[in-house]
Amino acid sequence: MSTTIAVPGQLLGATTDFLPGPGTHIHASSIHASILGPISRTVPPKPAGPSKRLTKITKATPEPLPTISIDRDISEGHGQGKREIIPEVSSVVLCKVTRITPRQANVNILVVGESVLDGDWQGLIRVQDVRATEKDKVKIFESFRPGDVVRAAVISLGDQSNYYLSTARNNLGVIMATSESGNAMYPVSWKEYRDPETGANEWRKVAKPF
Amino acid sequence: MPLDTSTYSLALLRLDGRRWNELRRLTAQISTQASADGSSFLSMGNTKVICTVTGPSEVKAAPGASGRGDEAVVSVEISVAGFSGVERKRRGKGDKRIYEMQTTIATAFQATLFTHLYPRSTITISLHILSLDGSLLATCLNASTLALIDAGVPMRDYICATTAGSTSSYSSNDEKADPLLDLNGSEELELPFLTVATCGTEDEVSVLVMETRVQVGRLEGMLAVGVDGCKQVRDILDVVVRARGKRILEGSQL
Repeated sequence: MSTTIAVPGQLLGATTDFLPGPGTHIHASSIHASILGPISRTVPPKPAGPSKRLTKITKATPEPLPTISIDRDISEGHGQGKREIIPEVSSVVLCKVTRITPRQANVNILVVGESVLDGDWQGLIRVQDVRATEKDKVKIFESFRPGDVVRAAVISLGDQSNYYLSTARNNLGVIMATSESGNAMYPVSWKEYRDPETGANEWRKVAKPF
Repeated sequence: MPLDTSTYSLALLRLDGRRWNELRRLTAQISTQASADGSSFLSMGNTKVICTVTGPSEVKAAPGASGRGDEAVVSVEISVAGFSGVERKRRGKGDKRIYEMQTTIATAFQATLFTHLYPRSTITISLHILSLDGSLLATCLNASTLALIDAGVPMRDYICATTAGSTSSYSSNDEKADPLLDLNGSEELELPFLTVATCGTEDEVSVLVMETRVQVGRLEGMLAVGVDGCKQVRDILDVVVRARGKRILEGSQL
């Protein structure tokens, strides 16, 4: 192991020995780590000697202290190039409906933009965010069903556990749905999917395909 | 099977083959449940505990119900699985010992966590006891520490706990008998013991619970052994936390 990893709060050294760099803070005249990461010490370059020959004795300039810091983004340094991507406001996400109630649909966010997430984040589509028009007539069970794959836009980082999502645009809504008999369906209108085998129609908030 | 303390004085080995100041095997994992804000699984010997932390989250109760508005409130829920003990047993909610443990853990973390950073919120620690073989409170405290670290709740230092017992009996009058570290279930039934938790490396005692009676002269030795055991526990927990930190830096989410 070439570098040692500091955990937040770890004592790194005294302020008399080091200068605090990024990712550190000073507490009680000693430097502590603020974030998780490998410790790096950078020694400042030796100042060039006096340009003129000295003609009198001067006090030597004090040796500059090395800077101690915690590397913030080590994924670049290790050449993995893998940054954690999380949903942001106005990013378009793909998610899977997990649960519906009359007021909201709970979803798991699986894809943000073009990148597939490692873990899944919880999202919430409230009944007033399902479509742009006739919001008062929206019924969640006529818009989503558990298991549907939905394209949605993030409207808010939401409460502590859920992103708030919206499908109130033509190109947002259900993009993949299975019927009650378990067959994959195809969209036939802006609010209907059809089962190719039974021929039955089911209500959905359909995303405009093109 | 009763603990035969007379054989202990001969071989100086306990029933499970340990010496007086040996811990049982302590294994721990962090982030065992993806859905919780923080979680851990910790086993000290055959005592196994799962801990999940929710929060800091908004207070659900009606305003004015619990008066603390300027700092977070730590609440602890302990559930003992029916299959955890030797014989199957259902424990109700109203178990006084469980209730006392909840209060002990809550007050310990209320003092160690930086609760002033989270006004009007609660931090819920829920502990599920899967297997029960002594040192229960200590195991719960250690598991809670790891889960709170996983949840990213700022705290002063690790709370590390262990138990210590005394083998000497009044009748045999063996003053020099060793105190025992980290008692298992059968030892806890036989011997007077205490649970001690320290915060940090400076031997700062944050929890000290004793439910049995012991001569006051033995107390100091037990406490010293217990505090020393807490130091060992802290080293083990630190290794676990750092291993987890390393894996986060390598880019794995879970």
